[in-house]
Amino acid sequence: MKQTAPHMKTSGHKQTISREEILSRLQDPAFALVNVMPKETFEAGHIPHSINLPLGEIEATARQVFPVLTREIAVYCMGST
Amino acid sequence: MGYTNVRYYVGGMTDWGESGAPVERVEAPLTAAQATRNLQPISARRVSWANCLDILANWPLERLVGFWLGIIIVFGFVYWAAGIGMGWGLQAGNTTVKPDFNGLGTAIYFSFVTALSIGYGDVIPLGPLRILAVMEGIAGLLIFGCVISKLVSHRQEELVEEIHRTTFEDRLDRVRTNLHLVLSDLETIDQINREHSALPSHVLKRLESSERVFTGELKTIHDLLYRTRLLPEEDALESLLANLTLCLAALIDLLNSQTQRSAGLNADLKTISNLANEICGECVPRTHAPASKQWMDQIQELAKKLA
Repeated sequence: MKQTAPHMKTSGHKQTISREEILSRLQDPAFALVNVMPKETFEAGHIPHSINLPLGEIEATARQVFPVLTREIAVYCMGST
Repeated sequence: MGYTNVRYYVGGMTDWGESGAPVERVEAPLTAAQATRNLQPISARRVSWANCLDILANWPLERLVGFWLGIIIVFGFVYWAAGIGMGWGLQAGNTTVKPDFNGLGTAIYFSFVTALSIGYGDVIPLGPLRILAVMEGIAGLLIFGCVISKLVSHRQEELVEEIHRTTFEDRLDRVRTNLHLVLSDLETIDQINREHSALPSHVLKRLESSERVFTGELKTIHDLLYRTRLLPEEDALESLLANLTLCLAALIDLLNSQTQRSAGLNADLKTISNLANEICGECVPRTHAPASKQWMDQIQELAKKLA
């Protein structure tokens, strides 16, 4: 993850979110969950209510999907194995 | 990108899946026939011969052979028992088969001969056993047909698997060869670039052509890492990734000293950047050896430079 979402960096340090918080906020419409994996991997399995924005397309599509820059977003990919 | 409220779920899908939390999948759409069938209540589904044959055809070979042998043995016992209780029995030549141990052997032999539709005629059923023998003949042939088709399809599957594997290995060889060609092309173009202030148009076209080949092979390796049904040995994968890294580095060097770019070249560069950006040790679905992961991370770093 540390190297997989470089486009979403907000500053030098990155804030993280826990699994428990994601679980508790899955139904929260103000909270957006973004999966940055390729489409095939997303289709094979993802966290419910996630939006798929593959890394390669994120530059082009992020502003269309999330026009408000203060929107609360959680980003994830495959994670460390 | 300007977003101010972004957080990262470091564990990602690996942690999520291991915790047992719900995972959503995009199912392949049902075919029209499957959808219609699933909408019917179970009681309304017709139990037809075709359905029974479908069920049999889906059984594994061992179970199918076991079922077939079981039917033959059961029918053999029935022929034998009918001789004891009912007095119909079997007849071998001019004598009735006796209800003893030898008679049981003859009954099972007759059952095999009937199930295989051989019909020597040395043993014949008497009375209502003839109906039973016909029924066994039909059932035996159908099940035996399923066994034979299973054996044939098993062999075909092996052949198809072999063809897939050979094609896959050929494809990997082609990728490796093409990456070597691209690398030597890029080095030659770089040399020409150093000797001339601007690249001649035919060399520019050669660069575009190499770009296109490189994009295709990058796409192949990208697919290879994300569609994990077939994967090369870790050593072979590492060598492919090393070749890819070298090509990417050579391309970036060349582009740093060369500013002439056509629209096609720019489009290819964008594709290369996007694809290479998705090749990283932590992004790919499968865990690879540390050496391969290092190459993947280098490829992603180079992709950032290209972007």
